[in-house]
Amino acid sequence: MASSTCLRRFSQLSLDRATQPAFAPRSLLAATQASCFSTSAARHANPTGKKGMGAAPKRGTKTLNVKKGRKDTVKDLSKKPSPGDRKAMRKRIVLSNNNALEVPGLKDLEKDNALDPSNEGKVMGLAENVVDALRAVEAFKPSQGWSLFRRPATLMRKETIQVAQLLKEAEEAPEGQAKKTLRRILTGQRMSGKSTLILQGLAMGVLRDWVVIHLPEGQDLVNAHTEYAPLPGSQPTQYTQDLYTANLLSQIIKANEKILASININTNPSLPFPLPANSNLKQLADLGIINPEASWPVFAALWKELTQPGRPPIMLGLDGLSHVMGESQYMSAEVKRIHAFDLTIVRHFIDHLSGKVALPNGGLVLAATTKSNSPTSPALDFSIQVAEARQNKASDLPQWNPYANVDQRAMEALKDIEVLKVGGMSKEEARSIMEYYAASGMLRAKVDEGFVTEKWSLAGMGNIGELERASVRLRV
Amino acid sequence: MAQEGLSRALRGTFRSIGAAPRPQCQRAIRQARRALLPSTARCISSTAPRPAELISETREPFTAAPPINFDAQDAAQGARGRDVKVILKNLRVVPASPSYFSAKPTFNDDYIKLTALLRKVATLPTVPNSEAPKVAWKGIDEYRIMTNEPVKTQRFHKMLHIVRRLNTIHPSLMPEEVTIAMQRYKKASQPGDVKPNPGVIDELGRAKGVGRRKTSSAVAWLVDGEGEVLINGKTLAEFFGRLHDRESAVWALKATHRLDKYNVWGLVQGGGVTGQAEALTLAVAKALLVHEPALKPALRRAGCVTRDMRKVERKKAGHVKARKMPAWVKR
Repeated sequence: MASSTCLRRFSQLSLDRATQPAFAPRSLLAATQASCFSTSAARHANPTGKKGMGAAPKRGTKTLNVKKGRKDTVKDLSKKPSPGDRKAMRKRIVLSNNNALEVPGLKDLEKDNALDPSNEGKVMGLAENVVDALRAVEAFKPSQGWSLFRRPATLMRKETIQVAQLLKEAEEAPEGQAKKTLRRILTGQRMSGKSTLILQGLAMGVLRDWVVIHLPEGQDLVNAHTEYAPLPGSQPTQYTQDLYTANLLSQIIKANEKILASININTNPSLPFPLPANSNLKQLADLGIINPEASWPVFAALWKELTQPGRPPIMLGLDGLSHVMGESQYMSAEVKRIHAFDLTIVRHFIDHLSGKVALPNGGLVLAATTKSNSPTSPALDFSIQVAEARQNKASDLPQWNPYANVDQRAMEALKDIEVLKVGGMSKEEARSIMEYYAASGMLRAKVDEGFVTEKWSLAGMGNIGELERASVRLRV
Repeated sequence: MAQEGLSRALRGTFRSIGAAPRPQCQRAIRQARRALLPSTARCISSTAPRPAELISETREPFTAAPPINFDAQDAAQGARGRDVKVILKNLRVVPASPSYFSAKPTFNDDYIKLTALLRKVATLPTVPNSEAPKVAWKGIDEYRIMTNEPVKTQRFHKMLHIVRRLNTIHPSLMPEEVTIAMQRYKKASQPGDVKPNPGVIDELGRAKGVGRRKTSSAVAWLVDGEGEVLINGKTLAEFFGRLHDRESAVWALKATHRLDKYNVWGLVQGGGVTGQAEALTLAVAKALLVHEPALKPALRRAGCVTRDMRKVERKKAGHVKARKMPAWVKR
């Protein structure tokens, strides 16, 4: 080390001497100029004079590339969809396919046969007016396969018949007893038909002249995309969602126009605007749509009217339950998250789901969980587990881990809920729906025992969504 | 080898001294063969030789010839009252094998012996090569280690050609001596030696199968049923998102039209989705073979019997990946 340092010093010394011409001739070291230890100067000289022939730039160093911008100057000339078009396309609901064949012998669900248990395993069509009502309450979803067939039709599964039984039970109260309010949470695997089961329930409700009210997506209620305002005079503070409520009122009117028009107001609701004398419920709801800031009082008045004695039963539905089982995205005045149960519409639904408020004219409250887009809700999961254990008459109910965090309000609301499990179809049901696919011309295969079993197995033991995917959508 | 041949020759000479004036061309009993070097010397390694390495080199056993006491022999000859006065010290020692000086005496002897044997049995009926019993013959390296002679590849193959010809003799007429002679050229372990235990269906009607692929391993239990599949407690649709993977998992059943005859419980771990699905293919196929062994050809045609041994190649030092080299950079 020492010797190399010494040598370097020596070479530098020689260069120093070279830079001082005055001393150069006299310098003893003048002769050593040529034998310099460093060769970098010679290498930097670049005898060819060409540029860009030097060493390639080191890795990671930025270089100026002027050409870069000139490439790919060809602009995309295709027309871009205008704002909102993409979302409209995404949310568009197509209920018919002109290329699909008309299925011969497809019977429609009617008022008389809607609740008939003998329908089990049959595919039944939905009549025009039912489809309109269901479309109004947004019961159809873009992810469902309605656009594959000539007109909407549904398979009456075992679970559907169970729901039909519930409707029958709610309609026909024994003599001298109050009508029943039945509450169910629909659970099951992903694509097992929970939303479709709600749709079937709503369809049966429409057919049986029930008042049908559906909250199509729990997420829309809590994700702070609609305006909200504190409800005056509420303790603790509740919040109304005026535009959402007005929209809900319009959906209710569209879906239940005939029933609402036939019922006259007989209570005296206190509303911020004058009500024409002898008006019916449809006119009342219309006023709520015109004045969104009063939509919640109008909804409350409408509900009060509907729960008067002698009015039709009510079907309440909600899809995406786990979204409303926690804090919403809305902020309070103290910049704290508002619990979903403090939103008036959600609270209204949850009160009925938990059984805190009964429907005096009978009715059915259906809430579907979702598996594809759902926040984790330990309270909901645990409540479903407990309810299933209770229904199976298990000797030991699951115990909540006391150290885990839980939404206490959700837990309280779901204390004694009942669960309707939407499982896989039986093979007979699978065969029935596959024959419908084949009759529609969407499945070009011979529907026999082996084929049905194969698809049934591959669809995870008769998961209807997977079955449709495997047999109709993914044709190899 | 040279010493060994010499010692053998010496002993042969010594034995036959009374009978013939010149002991030659008589093969002594094959018992004294060994390598010159101790077996450890072959390991070019600084670490201590492991027992497996030493055992793997099969040499032939060696015993040295006993020293010859010429005086005592002479005395004995004299006592027997022979006329011929043989002075043992004057005898010329001739190697037992005529190929002793050929540098590859063992090989040459082997070759000559096999040729002679073939000449003897050449008239026996043969079967086509494809029908002859399947035998794994020793390779050239193994043979070189066994004999410790620098045998050339071509010559070795010529010899093996004869051995193969001997192997095609009709099995029912195979002479005993040929069988013994061929034994020398067979590998220690033959294909089909290791037979897996036949699977059993337990008292609950379950058959178990194990399969692997890439880094996944799967166990499947098959029972009679109607096509229900549970994998790690989930349904097929829940466990495998892709339809292709679902089909892979039950491919053994689907290809043989048995999907509606059995229920499957699978446990699978490790690796990715595709690997798990294909590990299940193998596991289900093996379990199915326990139920119906006759399905093996059909399953083999469906590609469900052979384990795919391919795995991710390891990364090497100096490479960016397994094979990729870093880009060339000037300086």
